[in-house]
Amino acid sequence: MTTMDHQANKQLSGEVVQVVSFHLGSEEYGVDIGQVQEIIRMVEITHVPRAPHFMEGVINLRGQLIPIIDLRTRFGMKRAEATKSTRIVVTEIGTKRVGIVVDSVSEVINIPIENVEPAPEMIAGVGTEYIQGVGKMNDRLIIMLDLTMVMSGEEKQELASLEESLTAR
Amino acid sequence: MSDELFDRGEFVQYFRDEAEELLQQIDADLLKLEDFLDSGHADGEIVNSLFRALHTLKGSAGMLGFTDAQNLAHKLENLCDLLRKDRMPLSETGINILFGGRDFLTELVEAAINGTQAPRDPSEFASHIDSFVAVYEQTSHLIEGTVTERKYEEVVAEEARPSAAADIDAFEAEVQRLLEQAQAQKAATPQPAVQPAQKPVEAAPSTTPAEPAAKAEETAPADAAKAQTAKRASSHQTIRVDIDRLDTLLNLVGELVINRTRISDIAGTLERLLADKTFTSSQALIGPLAKDLADSSALLARTTNEIQESIMKVRMVPIGQVFDRFPRLVRDVAKARGKEVQLQISGADTDLDKTIVDEIGDPLMHLLRNNVDHGIETPEVRESRGKSRHGTISLNAYHEGNQIIIEVADDGNGIDLARVRERGIKQGLISADDRLSDREIIELIFTPGFSTAETVSDVSGRGVGMDVVKKTISRLKGVFDVDSRTGAGTTFTIKLPLTLAIIQALLVRVADELYSIPLDSVIESQRVEMQDVRTVHGNEVITLRGQVVPLVRIADFFELGGKRDPDKVMTVIVGLGGRQVGLVVDSFQGEQEIVIKPLSDVVGRIPGISGATILGNGSISLIIDVHSLVSEAYTDGKVARAEFSGV
Repeated sequence: MTTMDHQANKQLSGEVVQVVSFHLGSEEYGVDIGQVQEIIRMVEITHVPRAPHFMEGVINLRGQLIPIIDLRTRFGMKRAEATKSTRIVVTEIGTKRVGIVVDSVSEVINIPIENVEPAPEMIAGVGTEYIQGVGKMNDRLIIMLDLTMVMSGEEKQELASLEESLTAR
Repeated sequence: MSDELFDRGEFVQYFRDEAEELLQQIDADLLKLEDFLDSGHADGEIVNSLFRALHTLKGSAGMLGFTDAQNLAHKLENLCDLLRKDRMPLSETGINILFGGRDFLTELVEAAINGTQAPRDPSEFASHIDSFVAVYEQTSHLIEGTVTERKYEEVVAEEARPSAAADIDAFEAEVQRLLEQAQAQKAATPQPAVQPAQKPVEAAPSTTPAEPAAKAEETAPADAAKAQTAKRASSHQTIRVDIDRLDTLLNLVGELVINRTRISDIAGTLERLLADKTFTSSQALIGPLAKDLADSSALLARTTNEIQESIMKVRMVPIGQVFDRFPRLVRDVAKARGKEVQLQISGADTDLDKTIVDEIGDPLMHLLRNNVDHGIETPEVRESRGKSRHGTISLNAYHEGNQIIIEVADDGNGIDLARVRERGIKQGLISADDRLSDREIIELIFTPGFSTAETVSDVSGRGVGMDVVKKTISRLKGVFDVDSRTGAGTTFTIKLPLTLAIIQALLVRVADELYSIPLDSVIESQRVEMQDVRTVHGNEVITLRGQVVPLVRIADFFELGGKRDPDKVMTVIVGLGGRQVGLVVDSFQGEQEIVIKPLSDVVGRIPGISGATILGNGSISLIIDVHSLVSEAYTDGKVARAEFSGV
């Protein structure tokens, strides 16, 4: 989509958020398309021993090592075996590239901003701090994730301190 | 210069590199010039080179608006000009001023690049130069040709200006005093542990408040400051590359392009074959096609190999870049300690990976300081022992297989074992009734905090140094060895891999994952029967040629689970600085050349893992950090006695 189209789109329908939607269990989630770099099929994940507990391992993406987070583990859901529809959503959080494992990816949807409501207190075990809001599309509810917050709290600190020790060596 | 018509940052970067080189050059020239002191007449070639270096530095500094550095370079250039035109005799004061000026320039350049306040005001020093030069400029019109110090004094006497002569004497004394003080302070300033490409700031007697403040900043929130430096360094790293090496690379890329065409031709033919339904014509074509493809992939393999090698060469720089700064260091330390030392350098053109070259400077500096301070005896002692007055330190680098060897040897006293032992007891590192071999005693000097000096001297004796040297070298995957003969000298040997980017590794399988163990630390791999495994304090050990080797089960270390073989253990014996550990794996998978990819910026630093590599089939293998595994095995206190054994 060119910038022109994008602009026109906006004028026609008002502000929209473009999200990549995916499934985890019975819920549908969405992440801002700007944070998504690409979506790939499930590949073999190399386990990294002694890594932070939320880190599933690393994968080789065209010669680059990308850390993988299993969102199910992250959100305290039951782990699931990888199926044909399992995907890795490669995202860019800050300057870091991180892949997240999801059950399946459905589509890119435009949600009018007025259809996005603030997060309710608690949704199915996912702490509200990860949730930017809930988007309503017809009868679908899309939980919009804040990826920077998914890496937040202890994890973010853990990563930061690791990074510090790294640069300070 | 305020309008940003060009990318100033880039120019400043060029300037940084250029200035560093020029200042090195100036140092080298001054050291050479010093040898001509006795004749009182400077060698034209050297002075010219010195003059040119100062002139270039002046020009570049001026272009970027670094006026302080520009002005000082100009003053020094004037002084050189007088020397060059034989209008001034070569005197110790002159050389000392030039040395002092050169150090001052380093500070100014550094400050200008970083955009910070110069640590001290250059105007005082500049006026010293002026008044020193002025005397010669005033009198030069009176005399023709060569001027000697004597002649000059006569001239002054004839001119009946005794006050001027007195001025000069007083001035020279003053300059001498200033320089000595600066020297002493410089020596007293502890060397920052890791600070590549940055000369320690030489403190003037008139220390300005900015100086201690800067120092405090360096040491206090060390981590933050270091992180800063690291970031700055990594974002600004450049390398100068020999054009021939780039040409080679370009040729190789050309080969790749040709090969690409060839492969797409083959693909085209294959497609046509697919479209062709008649089997007979296909049959005739498949043979040559397969051969073509085989040829092409062979070519591809060869070319990529060569590209890999060439890229490695691009990263290689001569170690002389580091060595160049040592003559000055040795001279300064020797002067401060009242010793006469000659530094002989060989193998300065030996190539080494840029990252290693950047890191090896500080350890070598520590070693050289140690050689001068502890190794070389004073001239009197040396004479009484029938040695020449001046001690010799040789710094030698050469390639050996896939490694580079750096030797730092002196012909001094050797390590005083009795003294080291005594200090070790005093500092509670060993007990008085411990029976240690000579090697074990030498090993004591690598203990953090160990120092033989009774009092902290200017040069060394703070107990920082040898342990840091050893740590740095192990981090660079190198090996450090000391050989000492009492009364005859000490030799430090450093063995380093040529590059850190590509290594030979032994692939092993543990709990269904492939791990890589750097081959340079592998001594052997062995199958050991379970009945030969014994336990000491609950830890498994094996005996290997009379030496007790602790076992580390990788699966346990990484908490991987998996089941143990009840009959035997497959062990990879790894060694690090004399310590050995047997790593227990499930099976050996052969050797392979691997390209190291840092894992730390992906998942953070993981103890026991130094990086990862991507294997031929695209899967990832983690690289085992032998260093941290070995030290963990030994520092758990389990193998306490083994700590000092067999090193």
